[in-house]
Amino acid sequence: MSAIEALITELARLPGIGRKTAQRLTFHLLQQPPEQAGRLASALVAVSERVRPCEQCGNLTEEQPCAICRDPRRDPALLCVVEDASAVAVVDRSTDFRGRYHVLGGRLSPLDGIGPESLRLDPLVARVRGGEVREVILATNPSMEGEVTATYIQQLLAGLNVRVTRLARGLPMGGDLEYVDGVTLAHALVARQEVS
Amino acid sequence: MPLVTTPAIVLSALRYGETSKIVRLATREHGVQSAIAKGALRPRSRFGASLQVLSEGQAQYLAKEQRELHILTAFDLLHLHVALAGDLPRYATASVLGEVMLRFAPPDPHPESYDLFRDALEALGQAPTPDVDALGFRLLWHLVSVLGFAPSLEACARDGIRLPETGALPFSTREGGALCPACAAEHGATQLPADAREDLTALLDPGAALPRLDGRHGAAHRRLLARYVRYHLAEGAELPALEFWLRRPWEAA
Ligand SMILES: [Zn+2]
Ligand SMILES: [Zn+2]
Repeated sequence: MSAIEALITELARLPGIGRKTAQRLTFHLLQQPPEQAGRLASALVAVSERVRPCEQCGNLTEEQPCAICRDPRRDPALLCVVEDASAVAVVDRSTDFRGRYHVLGGRLSPLDGIGPESLRLDPLVARVRGGEVREVILATNPSMEGEVTATYIQQLLAGLNVRVTRLARGLPMGGDLEYVDGVTLAHALVARQEVS
Repeated sequence: MPLVTTPAIVLSALRYGETSKIVRLATREHGVQSAIAKGALRPRSRFGASLQVLSEGQAQYLAKEQRELHILTAFDLLHLHVALAGDLPRYATASVLGEVMLRFAPPDPHPESYDLFRDALEALGQAPTPDVDALGFRLLWHLVSVLGFAPSLEACARDGIRLPETGALPFSTREGGALCPACAAEHGATQLPADAREDLTALLDPGAALPRLDGRHGAAHRRLLARYVRYHLAEGAELPALEFWLRRPWEAA
């Protein structure tokens, strides 16, 4: 396989990148000064060598524990449970949540053979049993699998002295009711809130 | 390209590219079909949140002749079976039914299996927790039967000789049911004890009361059913949801 072909093949393995895009990226890189490709290559090597899951929360980090777990201003009583490390960045960037996280490393999915033993559930129970956590916020995805994962965790934590909440499913901001799908609208109606 | 409109249930939904999903649908009028839902992951997609595993709706797609992948133009949600996510045993059972549909429902019209699958999801969502296990057995046997592999219990699966109406029977997964003593001697069979036979008879009869299978009987029946599905339907293919259901990972916790 030629060097060009090898790069196209590797890029095309990435999510959301088809063969055409992989080709475009490859030829773009070839038109740049060689230092640029060198920087990209060393950045790739650096992440794969240095980034590891945080031993406490499962978030991706270069140091143990991660910056969020180390941050003394964060409220250790609030624990936000997410499916993947990428969701930590999303929640942290977009909300003013200032508690800590717990990354499951996936969601329950019988069709993919993914059961409770494949998720970071024992560490979650251990953290809750530790006694510092007062509220667990289940922020799994609003999909059937995210839902069954949330109900499973809720049942797992029942009996432990902790409040368990689930992200509300509601209307997107900036939307127009006309364009909201029926499922979202129905959930938003069920989860309606008192305004006064 | 003809535009097809049919009741459908989503069997799987995979991300495709940045914004699309590829769904496999059990359709009432055209068997199992695959379609691409372009832009389904965009925030204000017309598909909204409807393309979830096990959601039921009216699908509309442009059927590409000679092609495996159609273009989904609409999916009007009728029912999101959220109750199935109420606990893992329920969801695992529903997933097995979905997996059997996905792998074995013919690509041709087969309204009987579609209707059975749809009613099964509804029944499973509504069932009281203690019934989920036995109801799952019954629904799975019914689905296997409607797909053409009903186990024979009243007559020998090989030569049709009537079998005694009660008592233990030689049973052969490979032959598709119980055997007469002569066939059992010639072709081999395992013994289906009298109580297991009674349970299976009750499970196959939709009018009969749901049997209560205790831990040991439940486990034995689950193995029998899984072996039967694997042998008659899988042809060596992997069935992750069936294995998941068989190993009951929620019990380890
Ligand atoms: Zn951490
Ligand atoms: Zn015979």
